Amino acid sequence: MTLHLVLLLAAGLFAIGLFGALTQQSIVMIMMGIELMIGGVIVGAAAFWRFLAPAAASGQVIVVAAVVAMAVEMAMGFAVTTAIFRTRQIDMTDMAKDLEG
Amino acid sequence: MSALLWALVAVPLVAGAWLALAGHHVDRYVPALGVAAAGATLALAVAAAALRPRASAPLFAGIRAGLDVDGLSAVMVVTVAAVTVAVLVFSAGEFGGGENRGRFFGLMLIFAGAMLVTVTATTLPVLLMAWEVMGAMSWALIGYWWRRRERVRAADIAFLTTRTADLGLYLAAGAALAGGVGTLSLNALPAAASPWLHVVTAGVVLAALGKSAQLPFSFWLSRAMQGPSPVSALLHSATMVAAGAYLLLRLEPLLAATGWAEPFVAWAGAVTALVLGLVAVAQTDLKQLLAASTAAQVGFMVLAAGSGAVVGGTMQLMAHAATKAGLFLAAGAWLTALGTKQLPALRGAARTYPVTGAAFTTGALTLAGLPPLSLWATKDEILAAAVERGLWLYGVGLAAAAVSALYSVKALWYVWRPPPANAGDGYDTERQGTRRVTRMMTSPLVALAFAAATLGVFALPGLSAWLRAAVGGAGEPSPHGWELGLSAVVALAAAAFAWWGRSRHVVMPVEHRRWAVRWLGLDHGAHALVARPVMALARLLAAFDDRVLDGAVRGAGRMGMTVARLSARFDDNGIDASVGAVAAGARRLGRWARRPQTGLLHQYYVQAAIGFGVLLLLLLLVR
Amino acid sequence: MALVVVASFWVLGVLALVSGGLVFRFTSMARATIALLTSLICVGGEVVLLGLPYLGVVTILMMVMEMAIMAVFMIAYMMNPAGLTPMSMLHNKGGSLAVSGTVFVALAAGIFLVPWPRRAGSPPPDTTFQVGESLMGAQMLTMIVLGFALLATIVGAIVLSTRRGRYDRFGDDLDRRPPRDPAGGGVGR
Repeated sequence: MTLHLVLLLAAGLFAIGLFGALTQQSIVMIMMGIELMIGGVIVGAAAFWRFLAPAAASGQVIVVAAVVAMAVEMAMGFAVTTAIFRTRQIDMTDMAKDLEG
Repeated sequence: MSALLWALVAVPLVAGAWLALAGHHVDRYVPALGVAAAGATLALAVAAAALRPRASAPLFAGIRAGLDVDGLSAVMVVTVAAVTVAVLVFSAGEFGGGENRGRFFGLMLIFAGAMLVTVTATTLPVLLMAWEVMGAMSWALIGYWWRRRERVRAADIAFLTTRTADLGLYLAAGAALAGGVGTLSLNALPAAASPWLHVVTAGVVLAALGKSAQLPFSFWLSRAMQGPSPVSALLHSATMVAAGAYLLLRLEPLLAATGWAEPFVAWAGAVTALVLGLVAVAQTDLKQLLAASTAAQVGFMVLAAGSGAVVGGTMQLMAHAATKAGLFLAAGAWLTALGTKQLPALRGAARTYPVTGAAFTTGALTLAGLPPLSLWATKDEILAAAVERGLWLYGVGLAAAAVSALYSVKALWYVWRPPPANAGDGYDTERQGTRRVTRMMTSPLVALAFAAATLGVFALPGLSAWLRAAVGGAGEPSPHGWELGLSAVVALAAAAFAWWGRSRHVVMPVEHRRWAVRWLGLDHGAHALVARPVMALARLLAAFDDRVLDGAVRGAGRMGMTVARLSARFDDNGIDASVGAVAAGARRLGRWARRPQTGLLHQYYVQAAIGFGVLLLLLLLVR
Repeated sequence: MALVVVASFWVLGVLALVSGGLVFRFTSMARATIALLTSLICVGGEVVLLGLPYLGVVTILMMVMEMAIMAVFMIAYMMNPAGLTPMSMLHNKGGSLAVSGTVFVALAAGIFLVPWPRRAGSPPPDTTFQVGESLMGAQMLTMIVLGFALLATIVGAIVLSTRRGRYDRFGDDLDRRPPRDPAGGGVGR
């Protein structure tokens, strides 16, 4: 368990999540991809704290911030999904092209 | 007092203008009104001559419009007014209802009025105004029957010729101002500063010679015969032609001030008197003969002005006015009655119309200078002054007097011939004759003939002294007895020779000389020397104007258009196109900028990912 | 470095990656949710392994709750919750693969190329105490911001997801007093 390995894990999670976020049509599935990406960030931050600066709390604070971002993302994502679905009866991003211009 | 003078010039001018503009509905009363206005003018003129009023009004800054009746003017106004009355009375008889009488009488009155202003003016501007009005009226009157082209052309030639000479007066006025005569008063002109004095004199002499039809301007007088006879009568006697002589007499001090002007004017007058007399001898047309004789007789007045004989010149002017007006009216009467003015055709005219014939005879004998008639006396007054200026001058003047006897008797001889059997063939060449001479026509004739015969009384010692005192020529020489006798003998001999020669068919050589018949070819000379060069110059200038100036203007316009087109092209293809290109580019950029805005979230994510990658690269590269 | 720790790191890491990949392979939403939960629980475990037990446990707990909620939404909103109809719900697969692959390659390259600094200091005896003291002390501003962000999230989520807006309550001009509510509230109403 070295810094490189843990960071590779984090990069892998991030890349998988990015792939999911880019490929999925369903809003919920996109959110899943973002969750995975944030998971990668959490792992990365924890690894940096562990292997580079364990004496400073900043790494931990980043993890906290990432977790909070996750929660915020979830809540807002579902609120937006609810609002869109209520007005349009859709849950696909491709169907909401209002911003096309 | 001054009101009298204003009235004197205003009555004919206002009445004339009103008559000329009144239109047809007053046509019936026009002759009466015109004669009445002329009569009133005559009354005013006599009063003015007696009372010697003077008037003045502001005209320009420092220049007043002054009118003044001094001795010379007194003689002139009475002469002008009297001849006008006579001529208008005759016109009332001659012009029928078919003519536009309002225009004729009106113009005649304005003509006379302008002459009255001319002879009473004390300053150059007023004189010039009247002078010009007179010229314009002469044009309108000579071309009175304007439906015939040659008459209009004659009027144009007369007007243009006199007008050309008139420029001398403008020159004189300008030179007088330059020479320090700020008031432009006639009496002050001799006081002009030296170089300008000569310019003033030259201008005045030029204008006077032109107006008086002296050489070389004489030809317009021949053309002026195209007008109605009353016009010729007025124009040749007391107005227009006389105006030039009057001006020279009036400005005799100016001529004397220069030194060169007096002999020049004297010789011009003497030569004109002789040469135009010869021209008159050669004429076979009565009116042309009279016209040439007018130039010759006015030559005597000019000779008088050049010799310092103001009184003699004035008397000559007065006597000649009466004589010549009568002769022209008689010629006009015959023209009206017989429809011709050719001397051969007029044979027997005096026998057919005895009253006219008698009046014509009196006038012709006066014109011939036979004693004791007026022109004989006045001519001797002039020659008495001329002899002091030089024997040659006197000789030429005497020869001219003899020539005047020749042509006068020539005319007389023709009209007193018994009428030929085929007299009617020569009639009605000019117009349809009426075969009548009314009393209306003869009464002024008789009056004028009487005046012509008797005006010589002013040469008698007592009256002569009075006139000299009046006109202000006290120092002028009176003719000696031998001079009077010599000129009487010369005139009688010439007259007798003419009569006898005519009866024996001895033809004088001058009668077949083309130059004399053709008025010395002055007409052609003026055409060749002045009119054609001027026209050529005008054409040249017009061509220059068209080609160069107008061409330059047009070229500037074209160039402006070209520049405008170029700049328009530059504007369209350069500025506007670049603006359009900017707009199109902005639009294209906008389209490109809209391309990524698909509205599809995942594509935004891709863009964000790529953008972050680029930022990261940038960061790495910059750091 | 205990063998147990290394083994569990590898097991958890591989499991996290595999189940993360499976999330997007399943057609059934329920399975996808389970796979994601698995992956994130493994992440939490890794965090615990890295010596942050508190944060790891918090992560795991939060993920469990989240996934439960997510399952509810899945079933509520998705067209194909059980994956009974074989249909691909993907788009831009190639591009996404390229982007994500590039990102992974770049990150890996960075991981191996960056000269990481030497480890500074040693971990404190109690990491939970460390993070708590930090959040309540030096990082108080961060904490406050996070708190406000969460509050804003609560408000925003409610506003977005509630059926009735303020125009329904206060009228078109927002001047209806009292507001029209389906059920009365407050004191004495």
